[in-house]
Amino acid sequence: MSRIVTIDPVTRIEGHARITLELDDAGEVRDARFHLTQFRGFEKFCEGRPYREMPALTARTCGICPVSHILASNKACDDLLAVTIPPTAEKLRRVMNLAQLTQSHALSFFHLSSPDLLLGWDADPAGRNIFGVMRQHPELAKDGIRLRQIGQTIIETLGGKKIHPTWVVPGGVAEPLDAAKRDAILALLPEGLEVAKRTYAFFKTLVPRFTAEASHFGTQPTMFLSLVSPQGHLEHYDGFLRLKDAQGHIVEDRVPTGDYVRLVGEAAEDWSFMKFPYYKPMGYPGGIYRVGPLARLNNADACGTPYADVALAEFRMLQDRGPVASSFHYHYARLVEIIYAIEMMERLLQEPDILSARVRARARSNRYEGIGVAEAPRGTLMHHYRIDDNGLITWVNLIIATGHNNLAMNQSIRQVAQAYVDGNRLQEGMLNRVEAVIRCYDPCLSCASHAFGQMPLLIELHDAAGRVVDRLGRP
Amino acid sequence: MTRRRPAAAVPSPRPPGPPAADAVPGVWRTLVIGYGSPIRGDDAIGPLAADALAAAPLPPGWRVLSRHVLTAELAEDLAAVDRVIFLDASVRGRPGEVQVCTLEPDAHAISTMAHFLDPRELLAWCETLYRRVPQAWLVSAAGASFDYASYRLGPAAAAAVPVMLAEVRRLAAAPSARTGPAAVP
Repeated sequence: MSRIVTIDPVTRIEGHARITLELDDAGEVRDARFHLTQFRGFEKFCEGRPYREMPALTARTCGICPVSHILASNKACDDLLAVTIPPTAEKLRRVMNLAQLTQSHALSFFHLSSPDLLLGWDADPAGRNIFGVMRQHPELAKDGIRLRQIGQTIIETLGGKKIHPTWVVPGGVAEPLDAAKRDAILALLPEGLEVAKRTYAFFKTLVPRFTAEASHFGTQPTMFLSLVSPQGHLEHYDGFLRLKDAQGHIVEDRVPTGDYVRLVGEAAEDWSFMKFPYYKPMGYPGGIYRVGPLARLNNADACGTPYADVALAEFRMLQDRGPVASSFHYHYARLVEIIYAIEMMERLLQEPDILSARVRARARSNRYEGIGVAEAPRGTLMHHYRIDDNGLITWVNLIIATGHNNLAMNQSIRQVAQAYVDGNRLQEGMLNRVEAVIRCYDPCLSCASHAFGQMPLLIELHDAAGRVVDRLGRP
Repeated sequence: MTRRRPAAAVPSPRPPGPPAADAVPGVWRTLVIGYGSPIRGDDAIGPLAADALAAAPLPPGWRVLSRHVLTAELAEDLAAVDRVIFLDASVRGRPGEVQVCTLEPDAHAISTMAHFLDPRELLAWCETLYRRVPQAWLVSAAGASFDYASYRLGPAAAAAVPVMLAEVRRLAAAPSARTGPAAVP
């Protein structure tokens, strides 16, 4: 007689989801599923709108990473215009993207995952939250706030508005950067780099404590998809798509982003509103891959900045050979990427043409189809539009980073549940680990909202007849 | 629409924390934060009121911010001032009705969403991390419509903006329940 355990809602993630665990007669986990329970339908209600509205419309999918949508959307619009944006505009867009990555990774590490990492998976859930971290590790919590503030301040300095900046436009950016703003941003970066390096050094000392979790948190063999630069380096804005297999062999390389449809297929299941992208040549569900910081570091030949390259070398030592497989190490990869982002922003802002006034290419639509791909903090973000002769949207496809990771997240919770959950005696710490593996991916569910803290949590065991046989709940 | 919980009515006495490095003798450091969504009708009243306040000359020591939501990094800004006034929309009351209440830190007002915070939670972040909390008030105006893709205030909300600003100036002029502005040694 099988039973179902439901974790609803999953806490300290972005958006609304639940997890169900199916138990067999012996109380062992037979299957696990991660269900996205919210539906938004952006792809449908954008139809009929002028394509130039798309950056502003799609930015509203998310209060956390609107910059990522703004960039991918404007890149799709650049494609519709058939323009190459001025080099300075590209550099400025890159700076904004890296600032977004910095503040987003900081939120994930310091505020969402640190309660587990610093206070313990089995700590009293009443105190296993950001206030527990602030009390026990106030300096680390301040560092998290400072990194977020630096990232947000850079976005605001460039874009004028913090949450949904309208500075990035089809063809480039609306306004050039002036020397005062550049210098103000540059002045923030040394402190940011020190905070990032300090946090990275601290986290390295913690990693050995989590050997068990690292062995069970999503170590399934998957491929890895990300952008890389033309030189094969870490890339967040443009470049080519690269796919590596679980052994580290390059399966696809130098794939233009406009050819993503050759690589990525999309499946649907009737138990979730999230799509299930897969590597098309291998079919569904065998074409499983992961995106995001772990995939980016596994795919890159180098970061290309001094401290990040040292950290990347240490990241590769987390595993004897091949790509780093455990999804637990998404946390590690995020910290490496924060270091990289700060170093790269400094480099870009010191480019001689960064203050150039030529920051926008102007044109009307010259194509009926446009594709924009960028790396959001959580992974590869794809915007794909078709328009009619009047420039009105006729079709939209969005593949967000969390969607790419959907198959992997489902496999990961199955693995963690099978390792930790005893269906005959539910304990909160067991189920927190099931949630925690999802937090490794920092999912942005339908690019909605972060959820954390003391949300009501109810886990029930049902028998085959639907009777509740056990219940574990938070008020 | 901004999440709302009942605000504490009476401030509890608490010694002010250490002065920030930029404290000026005799000058209150005052932070005004208007927050709300700019695309949901009357929910935008907070940032629009803040923008209106910032458009006029500000007294010494004042800083005004307009925000879509309250985010964690604002805790550091709060720690650097003597008093903070939040401007927000409300779903309670007659449309256009302006209410003022004091706010106290409340660590139990943990927001379920990480990308925005309850103002009392933000004060609790400030208190826990920086050992100091500014005096805090919430000035809110009841809205009538919070529809999506609505970029204008309704008539009642628009009429409430000058009332909110008058309340801000009244609060700023009132003697403090606590000790005076931080003195620089």
